[in-house]
Amino acid sequence: MPAATGYYVPGTSWLHRRNPVTKLLALAWVLVTAFLLPPWVLPILIVIVVLVAWSAGVLPNLVRAMRIPAALLLSILLVNAFLFPGATDRIVGIGPFGITREGLSFGLISAGRVLVAFLASVTFLLTTLADDLLEALIARGASHRIAFVVLSAVQMVPRLQARAGSILEAQQARGLAVTGSFVTRIRALVPLVGPVLLGSLIDVRERTFALEARGFGARPDRTAYRIVADTTVDRVARLVLLVGIVAVVVVAVLGILPG
Amino acid sequence: MTDDIRLEEVRVRYPAARTPALDGVTLAVESGGRVGVAGRTGAGKSTLALLAAGFIPRVVRATVEGRATVGETDLVKAESKDLLGRVGIVFATPANQLSASKLTVREELAFGLENLAVPRSEMDGRIDAVLARLGISHLADREPFALSGGEQQRVAIASIVTMGTDVLVLDEPTAQLDPVGSEAIADLLAELAREGVAVLCAEHDPAVLRTMDRVAVLEGGRLTALDIPGRALGTAALPEGLEPPTLVRLAEAAGADPARAFDESFVAAALTAHRGPWPPESAAEPAERLAWTPVRERPGLAIELDDVRFSYPGGVEALRSVSLGIEPGETVAIVGQNGSGKTTLVKQLNGLLRPTNGRVLLGGRDSASEPISRIAELVGFVFQSPDDQLFERSVEREVSFGPRRMGLPAETLTRLVDQAIELAGLSGVRTTNPYDLDLSTRKLVGLASVLATDPSVVVLDEPTTGQDGPGVARVGRIVDALREAGKSVVAITHDMEFAAAHFGRIVVMRRGEVAADGPPSSVFGPANLELLASTGLRPPPAARVAAAMGRTTIPADAGELLRELARSR
Repeated sequence: MPAATGYYVPGTSWLHRRNPVTKLLALAWVLVTAFLLPPWVLPILIVIVVLVAWSAGVLPNLVRAMRIPAALLLSILLVNAFLFPGATDRIVGIGPFGITREGLSFGLISAGRVLVAFLASVTFLLTTLADDLLEALIARGASHRIAFVVLSAVQMVPRLQARAGSILEAQQARGLAVTGSFVTRIRALVPLVGPVLLGSLIDVRERTFALEARGFGARPDRTAYRIVADTTVDRVARLVLLVGIVAVVVVAVLGILPG
Repeated sequence: MTDDIRLEEVRVRYPAARTPALDGVTLAVESGGRVGVAGRTGAGKSTLALLAAGFIPRVVRATVEGRATVGETDLVKAESKDLLGRVGIVFATPANQLSASKLTVREELAFGLENLAVPRSEMDGRIDAVLARLGISHLADREPFALSGGEQQRVAIASIVTMGTDVLVLDEPTAQLDPVGSEAIADLLAELAREGVAVLCAEHDPAVLRTMDRVAVLEGGRLTALDIPGRALGTAALPEGLEPPTLVRLAEAAGADPARAFDESFVAAALTAHRGPWPPESAAEPAERLAWTPVRERPGLAIELDDVRFSYPGGVEALRSVSLGIEPGETVAIVGQNGSGKTTLVKQLNGLLRPTNGRVLLGGRDSASEPISRIAELVGFVFQSPDDQLFERSVEREVSFGPRRMGLPAETLTRLVDQAIELAGLSGVRTTNPYDLDLSTRKLVGLASVLATDPSVVVLDEPTTGQDGPGVARVGRIVDALREAGKSVVAITHDMEFAAAHFGRIVVMRRGEVAADGPPSSVFGPANLELLASTGLRPPPAARVAAAMGRTTIPADAGELLRELARSR
């Protein structure tokens, strides 16, 4: 994966063509809904996000990208199912451990919320070029510093992956076996952690040099080469999404919806 | 344009450093002038560049004493808006120059213009003009990160030049470029100077330094010489340990005018007219030979590439039918233009890349089914960038990583590690963290860490880039030692002198194919000049002078040509 473009999958779907800020608001709406409203909305949100990803032609990429958080989701589920504090209603027992009803339900809800967050965020990254997001934020009056922080955050994971990839190559070229049993694979990861973290610090320094040399942020009235489209559809969508976010918050605070 | 660079009695000290990085340097670069900066690694060249570009102390923290100005602007107090559009800086590697967020080369170039608030309607014109000037118009719509290292470096240079600054500072800009590419950059700097730009360029490459008006020589942060290139790079002006470039050495041997030391036909005529005495052999010869004693008993390994083709995902065809046999114990230099497929080719040798078509046979066995970790026991691979390779917290641990992985007995392991550290000249930094070393030493750590696995074949991807003269000489002596130990060495290089002096065979790559293959004496011979030029190459300087003298030999370096001359008189 090229670090430059991160998860971005070039395309011209309706979702690709949306203004990055519109998509950012949509992402915010999904997150607010998932975390503030009762858990029965989660399956609906999952279906919506998957349908959106499918219609934008990035569903296969989305599924592939979910392999990494899958382990996290599973651990959220298991830890809660087995170790939920104060739970008494055992369903299954394995020796001193047991799955409790409270734990399982809390685990499912938490994992479901995190799953929605991952699905929506990855769909956003798959269809939004980081650079367009930067331009759109600056055009909307965000400071260069904030825009740069957002850009770095969006690119962080793919950049770490790229660096881990090149270090892994170097270690393999010196005889490190990385294929084989599960244990071999896990052991191969250990020597990666230090250099990847150190490398990301050096990365920041290099980025600073690159941006400084080109005068990034030196004057407020910068121009833009790439034209980030902002259509009437986008403006209407943003209005609807803003109303939607407020509505979700109001509904959540008033507790209108049944749990 | 009237901006110039003025440094008066400048002293720069990094936090926690015991000695200043620059110590009392006085130097001026007028508008329209070009000053080169030479010196060993660590002499202060990069610090000088960072200071002149306004990066010190604004971006890189350091205390600055003395006076440093660009035009009327005090560099010590300058903010980024004060220098915007006035000072540009180019670094040695693309990593810290490309924005890493652009989809095309065109957008990468536009980035600087956006920050200068250049109107959108003017951008394409300026971008196209600079791309054409650097001969990279064909890359305009490519993705920057899919380009080869040398191509990226050209893009990085273009993206600064597009900004049209009055002062241009460059820190080893051609380290990754092929010889014709370096000359093109030198020509570009000359053109920019004629337009009134003040150019300050730190370099090792004589092909660039020779074109400067004057060259400043730094040693231990002090300015020890400031003169025309032929004199500043001469024996008298250079600090101990640095050798003059080949042409200067030849001009000195003939007692020729240093002002014309880089004029090949002039040097050739002076040598022809010179009646001796020739400089004593010892002065021209490098220091003691190095040796490698194989520790692990293993036979040599024959490599056979059979109709190997390779395309990167996305369809760029990097190798188009390469068939090549490398016998055990052969030393092969792979040369060719940036983007001609050299790195792609050597990555096939240890399985980092697998051919899309054809086969790679190692010792007669198809490598397709072998995991990289197994191949690594036979074929050691030294990456171009040490930072892609180093990950341990001390040099010693780094070097012992490979042998530890291979489960060697403790005694064998210790012998291998000690020998590799000594061969690479790293005995003094065994316990240092590799990231605290400079780039050239880090590259030697990368090399040592591969030697310590005692492979049958050693593959080096541009081992001499970022090395100063003594560093290149050290790498050359390591290659000699490996050959004498019976190992095969395959190296990518842009340094033709290095290739001719230390390798028995030269393979010329052009657009993904082998264009020429043979010993240096035939590949660099007169019959091949056109072919070499078509892939960005020229014979080494000593061979060019010999040709201008009408000689039939192809000497690799000044020493060899002078010995020939001494014998024949």
